[in-house]
Amino acid sequence: MKFGTRWPPIPAGILIGVSMLLAFVVAGRGIGASGAMTRLVAWVQHGLFPAATEQSAYFGRYFAAGAHPLNDYVVFLLVGLLIGAFIAAWRSGELRLEVLRGPNITAQNRLALALAGGVISGFAARLARGCTSGQGLVGGAELSVGAWAFLMCVFIGGWLVAWFVRKQWI
Amino acid sequence: MDLAIPLAKTGVISAAANLWLAIPIGFIFGFALFHAGFTDSRRIAWAFYFKDVGVPVVMFSAIVTGMVGLWGLSLIGVLDITLVYMLPTYLVPMAVGGVLFGVGMVIGGYCPGTAIAAVATGKIDGMVFIGGFLIGSLLFGDFFPVWGDFYNSDYLGAFRLDQWLGIGLGPTVLIIVLVAIAGTVSMIFVQDFVWGKKDTMTKSRPFMKLQGALVAAAVAIGIIFAFFPTESFIDDSVETPFYIVPRADVTEAAP
Repeated sequence: MKFGTRWPPIPAGILIGVSMLLAFVVAGRGIGASGAMTRLVAWVQHGLFPAATEQSAYFGRYFAAGAHPLNDYVVFLLVGLLIGAFIAAWRSGELRLEVLRGPNITAQNRLALALAGGVISGFAARLARGCTSGQGLVGGAELSVGAWAFLMCVFIGGWLVAWFVRKQWI
Repeated sequence: MDLAIPLAKTGVISAAANLWLAIPIGFIFGFALFHAGFTDSRRIAWAFYFKDVGVPVVMFSAIVTGMVGLWGLSLIGVLDITLVYMLPTYLVPMAVGGVLFGVGMVIGGYCPGTAIAAVATGKIDGMVFIGGFLIGSLLFGDFFPVWGDFYNSDYLGAFRLDQWLGIGLGPTVLIIVLVAIAGTVSMIFVQDFVWGKKDTMTKSRPFMKLQGALVAAAVAIGIIFAFFPTESFIDDSVETPFYIVPRADVTEAAP
């Protein structure tokens, strides 16, 4: 049975679940993507303002006892994620530079909205202590009440605003 | 109990080996994200318009797989669940963060993991989204004193759905499986109703026999789980070493 480039959703979801289960079995923790990006900004800011970053109420913990913020599980996971997506797209002949957008929006406006959405999500992921994968999927599997509340609220938030940005997508 | 799993927590593998093993695990994650169609912002955003409900279906499938695997390995006694990091619940900050995250997702078209995967496949909107995401993370950290108290409020410990519902963990697993199936079926129904049957999801219809078998397997496992009491999965009388605030303080503070 050949799935082709876009797999049916249940087998694709199961493979994501398998990667999460492997993380549970090997590391005793889940997968995640946003934590690595927080560590990345902490590292960059530390390069520019070392003293202020080490004393920061939020970023300071990444430098406790001389630790390097990028020497962490989530960062290695992110490297694997990049390679995995790259290889999968390369095998499928889908590696190309492009701006994905709906038919009714210019590339420039699409990029402006991508930036705005990124800023909001970046802030929100820190507030919620994780993103769709690290909080939603892992917490969902662990039956965490907070993770299920987070997931439901993600869809509520999306639906609240969907009508206003519909021109971007449909 | 002297169980070998999770390998890094029981000392079977070193901390360094654990880090290197994160790369192949991330590889599978990124590989699956691409084939789920999640490197395309349109497919993610369309979930909010019911134009392509692949996103929630993939998420339900991933959660059910991880849930059945994690609690199943604990049930058959090969995984020491007290060594697995359980995410703590800070209910109101997580709900508010969730709403904001959803807003960012429908505006930006990605979430962090999918945007990173999109970057690897050359999507420029994904790169810009990641740029924004880094700015948002930086703002949160640098102005942390402004919202730090809210961030740490409403702490409930590692609070599980079965504890909240007051029922066993096994039946809760079965309920989640059934919720996932009901959610999937109703979303496909809404998609067909709103957009007609000729959309992207229809491509997966030739695989319905396979997917039906997988769903039936999940229901069967859920039913088996429902017969086991919570103690067979996890010993709640033992405090895991990962509590940020001791659980005793939480039970006293609860109404």
